[in-house]
Amino acid sequence: MTQSGSTTKAAFFARIRDEMRKTPGLFAATTAPRPPAPRRLAETIRRELSERWPQTLERFRREFERVGGDFHRVATVADVPGLVARIARERGGRRVVTWHPTALGVDLTSGLAAQGLESLTMPAAGGGDGPERTALRDKIAAAEIGLTGADLAIAETGSLVLVSGGGRPRSTALLPPYHVAVFDREALVESLEQAGVFFEAWHEGPAEPGRGAAIHVITGPSRTADIELTLTRGVHGPKEVHAIFVDAPIRG
Amino acid sequence: MSDLRTPFRERAAGALHDRFLKQALDIATTKFLALRRDAFGQFPEGETLRDRARAIKEATLQRLDHHLERLVANVEAQGGHVHYATTPAEARDIVLDIARKSGTRLAVKSKSMATEEIDLNEALEHAGVTPVETDLGEYIIQLAHEKPSHIIAPAIHKTKGQVAELFARELKREVAADAEVLTRIAREELRDKFLKADMGITGANFAVAETGTIVLVTNEGNGRMATSLPRVHVAIMGVEKVVPSMTDLMVFLAILAKSATGQKLSVYTTLVQGPRRPGELEGPDELHLVLLDNGRIRQIAGPLREALYCLRCGACLNVCPVYRQIGGHAYGYTYPGPIGILLTAMLHGEKSVKELAHASTLCGACADACPVRIDISRMLIELRQSGVERRTAPWTERAVFRAFARLLTMPRLYRWATPLARLAQRPFVRGQRIPRLPLFFGQWTKTRDLPAVASRTFSERWKDLRP
Repeated sequence: MTQSGSTTKAAFFARIRDEMRKTPGLFAATTAPRPPAPRRLAETIRRELSERWPQTLERFRREFERVGGDFHRVATVADVPGLVARIARERGGRRVVTWHPTALGVDLTSGLAAQGLESLTMPAAGGGDGPERTALRDKIAAAEIGLTGADLAIAETGSLVLVSGGGRPRSTALLPPYHVAVFDREALVESLEQAGVFFEAWHEGPAEPGRGAAIHVITGPSRTADIELTLTRGVHGPKEVHAIFVDAPIRG
Repeated sequence: MSDLRTPFRERAAGALHDRFLKQALDIATTKFLALRRDAFGQFPEGETLRDRARAIKEATLQRLDHHLERLVANVEAQGGHVHYATTPAEARDIVLDIARKSGTRLAVKSKSMATEEIDLNEALEHAGVTPVETDLGEYIIQLAHEKPSHIIAPAIHKTKGQVAELFARELKREVAADAEVLTRIAREELRDKFLKADMGITGANFAVAETGTIVLVTNEGNGRMATSLPRVHVAIMGVEKVVPSMTDLMVFLAILAKSATGQKLSVYTTLVQGPRRPGELEGPDELHLVLLDNGRIRQIAGPLREALYCLRCGACLNVCPVYRQIGGHAYGYTYPGPIGILLTAMLHGEKSVKELAHASTLCGACADACPVRIDISRMLIELRQSGVERRTAPWTERAVFRAFARLLTMPRLYRWATPLARLAQRPFVRGQRIPRLPLFFGQWTKTRDLPAVASRTFSERWKDLRP
């Protein structure tokens, strides 16, 4: 590890400890209590929601639309390519980049092709060396539609949570102007607090192989109000976010 | 930044005469206020969460060394590098060194107050690295060579007409003065920079100790771009930004955006854990975290400890009657508004705020709006007090107040002085008020009247009224 600053770690921490010793603090306080077994608790949350997911889905739809998202619902995953094609056609697009089938839970390649879309599937792992990666990224940037899954859908805030990793590169949901996320009841959680349990669970024990270094919580399309407070969509990220809920479990 | 050689009084007066600025400030702050009120209005558990958030901040400070150790260990275990900067100069050197070693020519920046605080852009330019601000507001003010005027809306002092002129001049692109068109132009210009940049520079809204996660909150997506595309990511954060766990983080996320913009959550919350992992197509090859002191550590046991809770949401700016009139630039430093005065004292020493400590009505609206209930007024009063004790106030002011204090503690002298004051004020009284006073007393009457000493005092009248 490089130590380029003139302050060393030891000196930096010594100063912090010196100051800490001078005061007990302003009042007695504790941090938030963490769940002792987050993985088990996450499973419990999922089990409980499997009974009343329709209400949670309804809340998600309401909040997602409130933040400017477009909500869709289809019966089975076989309906997804047709819907994606319609979204693309209406916006004059035909190039789709998709997560790898293992990440998405289903292989939509032939379905998308049958709809006349030009689809590019992300590699399951890695992407070769620098130049190869750059070439792939340029293709992602040129696509109109980024098709992804969602690891969580938070009803309270209308947010989609996407974990990066093999087959699910970060920019598929970032560079194309239209982001389409496909998910089922497995992803639904009620609140930010419940999402927090999953965040704890994902970090319990060693990381699963193939898991990437970034978690993105996405709440509607990219927006700004920096010029005269006028709300404008699609600054750096997508200008539209579509959530497709599939009634029948995606992984069958 | 307005010139610090101009006294605050004149900087403020200048801002008060800027008709557009006043109008823009009024519209922006009123809107933010209403959005915040609605957000918490629909969120009954918000008040409890604010108390919890405040407790988490205090508890974290009580074991700051432990949590920072955990953060460092976890960032390093994931292949990240951690650096320690006591001063802005050290922080700049660290970033420049990383830039040199990685051969960086172009750096994209996601909005970060910490990098404003250390004047990083200038240092990068001197070293031959082009820094590009990518938050739309920050991009506009970088093109205009100005400084942010609001923590979360840096360019609220500019009209769309001014932005269009700026783009025409700096980007050589003639465009309509329309927010949507201007935003599209910025997207195109900045997309190109994102794809070419070697380095992404960000701050950190939070860093989670137990997982070694850097957390960025943005609405535009600049945080995601800067952490996904360039091959080097440098995050600069004040030591107070660490939170212990993901569970703690969720408490802050639930109140941060509601306080800032009235959103339930900002559009993008990005959690980054180390550099790109094996098998991952994107993300930086190198991740550097710079822990910044710059006056913070001294306040762990100092009078401004509570200001270390600050989340930089900007809510206290929007409610402040002083900020709403004069805007951010008149304050003269990186951080404006009520919390800005405290942070300025923290970063630049108490002497730097001898005037600014008085730029408050002490109405307490800031503490009401603050998501972690920082008692800003209390600390402003303490700063004023220590200003007097350190004799930073002018001697005339100190002499007058000392005499006045003596008078108030001696009833006999007070009774003698009252008729004298009545006599002395006679040439200046108009009706029941004194609109103008001579000499340095005139400072008081410059913007308000002084009530005249009554023709009969209460104790004189009481003698007649007493049964």
